[in-house]
Amino acid sequence: MEEMRLPDWLGGPREDTGPVRRLKPTGFLEKNIAGFSGAMLKALATEEYASRDGVLQGLEPRAKLLGFFLLIAASAIAGSGLFLSGVLLFVSAMSIKTRVGLSPLAKRVLPAFVFTFAVSLPVALSAVTPGRELVGAFGVAVTAEGLRLAGFFILRVATMLTLASLLALTTRQADFFRGLGRMIPGFFATALFFTFRYVFILIKSAQDATLARKSRTIRRAVLRESQRWFASRAALILKRSFSMAEEVNMAMISRGFSGRIVSAYGAAPFAGRDYLWIGFTSFVLFLSLGI
Amino acid sequence: MRGAMEDLFIVNALSFSYGGNTALAGVSFSVGAGESIAILGANGSGKSTLLKIMDGLIFPASGSVSFLGERLSEESLQGDFLKRFRERVSFVFPEPDVQLFCPTVLEELLFGPLQLGLEEAAAIKRAEELLEMLGIEALSKRPPYNLSSGEKKKVAIASVLAINPDVLLMDEPTNGLDPRAQVWLFELLGRLKGLKKTIILATHDLSLAEDLSERIIVLDEAHSLVADGPAERILKDKDLLLRANLIHEHAHRHGHVIHRHSHGPYSTHDEHD
Repeated sequence: MEEMRLPDWLGGPREDTGPVRRLKPTGFLEKNIAGFSGAMLKALATEEYASRDGVLQGLEPRAKLLGFFLLIAASAIAGSGLFLSGVLLFVSAMSIKTRVGLSPLAKRVLPAFVFTFAVSLPVALSAVTPGRELVGAFGVAVTAEGLRLAGFFILRVATMLTLASLLALTTRQADFFRGLGRMIPGFFATALFFTFRYVFILIKSAQDATLARKSRTIRRAVLRESQRWFASRAALILKRSFSMAEEVNMAMISRGFSGRIVSAYGAAPFAGRDYLWIGFTSFVLFLSLGI
Repeated sequence: MRGAMEDLFIVNALSFSYGGNTALAGVSFSVGAGESIAILGANGSGKSTLLKIMDGLIFPASGSVSFLGERLSEESLQGDFLKRFRERVSFVFPEPDVQLFCPTVLEELLFGPLQLGLEEAAAIKRAEELLEMLGIEALSKRPPYNLSSGEKKKVAIASVLAINPDVLLMDEPTNGLDPRAQVWLFELLGRLKGLKKTIILATHDLSLAEDLSERIIVLDEAHSLVADGPAERILKDKDLLLRANLIHEHAHRHGHVIHRHSHGPYSTHDEHD
């Protein structure tokens, strides 16, 4: 075999490449990809609470899902702030009874809450919602009606988010998708599960790509260069997702899949507490129609 | 070279390409029941493609693969033959994440048997016994994506063993395994060999091939079959292994003596010139 020849510069003295201006260590893209990846990881790590011995964890998955859907529907319909506050209070109490605790629930809801708060602020301004002006400056004022409207919107979103978060925290993913599969056509539940399952892997590869770039970068790239890089990574991940989808399909076919998934553990019959839960949540929905 | 054993697979003049890129060029061989074969080849030589064709997942551009006398094609892999084929032939993918798509480890093990029509109680019994055999009962309710690489590989193998196939096609089975997990895999495959399972490994790990296979098929970088014979003979053929890029040669000097070594993942023969 021919002897490998190393280029001379590889062992030579390092060339002077000049100083580099100090910049913030992380860029927008890295932060966002890392944040999204972290959120996905958090979503995947919820089994800890779901396996605790709490009042909601013991419910049959279908009953639990149905009950939460009814509560979310009630929160979407209700026109009373008092009613929404009551539901929010109930969910907060349930977070303690389910041994999740208020803090993990709040941490999960907070980012979306802050976002909702930010986007609903303009509603409080007189330019969007005219009415009795409370405070104002430079021709912009906050109106009482606008403030009430924004507050109500924030309360509604917070209630629905808290409900969805408590459901996610107290339900094992397997149970969630099993329960969902018995309420909607199995194909859709399977597709949703696969999306959730494989998005994580693709996000991880996006995160690795940003780290690989970071490890070879000492200055912030200009916007156009960043855009080009981002587009090329997005295309690569899209290509990987196609290839992975094909491989997963092959792996399923190889183990006998022929278009319809046969699964074990038929639906367990509802117990008394399942009926109680559905009865209670149906009553809440009924109340929301009149309020 | 084989004794009088039943031919499970007959691969005849098989060619395959991805777009314009050739993956296999005129490959022919047969596989007898109970044989343990390693398909050796450098990266990109066509090993994975060959296994996928043998598992009826993709179909050749020309040539054919027959299983128990019946040609594998999209038309033939239907109804009873499809069921018989999937019950008897299973494929372990190199990347466990591709293979593990169920919400829990237990459901992963139940997937194959249930799709193939096994009763639920029998499938659960199989799955539980496999979990116990592999020492992974504690993982039963865990989602597969949270497992370590070694655990994922164990679950991937268990998920195909649950089908109780006669033929195991394994693509790079030692990929990403630490030494302890590799020893575990060697032991398991040794035990399966003892049960007269047909094991076909695609690998470039020569030590795996030496330990587990009686017969070796070599694909070269031109995607052609260049050798098919007893493992002992093939592994001693240094020129062949060099040509197929499975080992490489390296020379260096110690004083006045030039040492010439062949390097690779396999233990090699040193020579002194």
